[in-house]
Amino acid sequence: MHVRRNQITIAAVAFVLGLLVIVQLRTQASEAAYAGLSSQDLTILVANLNDRNDQLRREVATLDRDLTRLTQNTERGDASINELRTDLQRVRLYAGLDAASGPGVILTIRGPIDGSGVEDLVNELRNAGAEAISIEDVRVVPGTVATGLPGLARVDGTPLGEMFEVLAIGPPDKLTGSLTRSGGIIAQLGATLPDVVVDVTPVERLDLPATDRNLVPTNGRPLL
Amino acid sequence: MSARARIRAIPTWQVTLGVALLGLGFLIAAQLAAEGPRIRYTSQERAPLVEIATELQAEREELTASILDLRRQIQSIEGSVADSAGVVKDLNDRLLAARIAAGLIPLTGTGIVLQLADSLEPAAPDTSEGDYLVSARDIRAVVEELWGAGAEAIAINGERITPTTAIIDLGASVLVNSSYVSAPYQIAALGPPDLYPRLAASAGFVDFIRARAQPYGIQVSFAEPETVDIPAFAGTVTLRYARPEPSPQASPGG
Repeated sequence: MHVRRNQITIAAVAFVLGLLVIVQLRTQASEAAYAGLSSQDLTILVANLNDRNDQLRREVATLDRDLTRLTQNTERGDASINELRTDLQRVRLYAGLDAASGPGVILTIRGPIDGSGVEDLVNELRNAGAEAISIEDVRVVPGTVATGLPGLARVDGTPLGEMFEVLAIGPPDKLTGSLTRSGGIIAQLGATLPDVVVDVTPVERLDLPATDRNLVPTNGRPLL
Repeated sequence: MSARARIRAIPTWQVTLGVALLGLGFLIAAQLAAEGPRIRYTSQERAPLVEIATELQAEREELTASILDLRRQIQSIEGSVADSAGVVKDLNDRLLAARIAAGLIPLTGTGIVLQLADSLEPAAPDTSEGDYLVSARDIRAVVEELWGAGAEAIAINGERITPTTAIIDLGASVLVNSSYVSAPYQIAALGPPDLYPRLAASAGFVDFIRARAQPYGIQVSFAEPETVDIPAFAGTVTLRYARPEPSPQASPGG
């Protein structure tokens, strides 16, 4: 009898202990993961994830189709040269290794902007869905950086001067809306660099050059 | 029961109970004292949103895993296609180079890992709480300085920087490739063996330390492991608006 009561007490404590451990872990796993986000931030996160997951689903479908075609070709003894060419073209276009054309926006920038101001514009263009960007004649790829103090901005060593253009291929309306909305990046730039004027013009067709950078690292190798 | 017998009886269950209670007390204390982020929101309307975000994040992870898996399978089939004329070999070589350029291949090599963490200092009276957090702009500034110092591939908490990567603020955290990433931020960069000395010598990086680390206590640290691994980009590379330009003057490079 005495022993049984002890066991019940221990069991009860163990139960509460287990419960607390689970609560603690769950809290850390979900709620705390987004603890720094307000309801409004969470809404933005959900919208972002929704868009992104749609894109990812389309990519999965494309890759699935490619894989099926390649498998069928292999079974038939076909060398799949057309598929390889299509794949190569798609990846080179994305990487900036080939020239690109399409609808988008032209940003005309006048006044003494600095390198980080140009970087902010490029970042916002990407956030709004730009697929390819060039600053004057320099295609923007990883490694391309705009630097310099106000009025002395340069990109990859090329001075940008008092007036220059940034071209971005992507959905023209979305790009324009995102840049020019109140409180958007152009409004923010206006607050820190009041002498800089940025005009956004939607266009039906832009032609962007390929990058002249070597994008294959010399200090790394594929981790296969 | 004699006193002696009593003492001998203690270890069996009272000790167990005592240890369990100690553990319980410790956990309660840990729960209460758990140091949360600087800004912590709690409200009724958050719960469903957190749930949706968690589900979408799980879905995203499944999708990215499928993408990486499909790409591996495609690459392996493409690589095994045999031909006599060497056309396929040439195409495959060019594909590998293009995939590396696009960030679709994980890389390993020399480099550094820089870590940015939120400040531990209390906010001074006339400053904003936000100044003491690592912002998207801070991360972009460091990434730009790393490129300038000769970095050849960069990832932030496992998110590879690609031609379409945006880094934006979201509350006290950031989105990289639309992926939710929170502090501390580990920026892994592949580059020449002297990448860190080059970075430390750059005026922009010195300015960054002067403007963010010194006044606000943003914590900047770095590691120089023997090798740095950069993961592959697991997003879409299929563009919807951009088309290859028909003109034949496209760069033959890469």
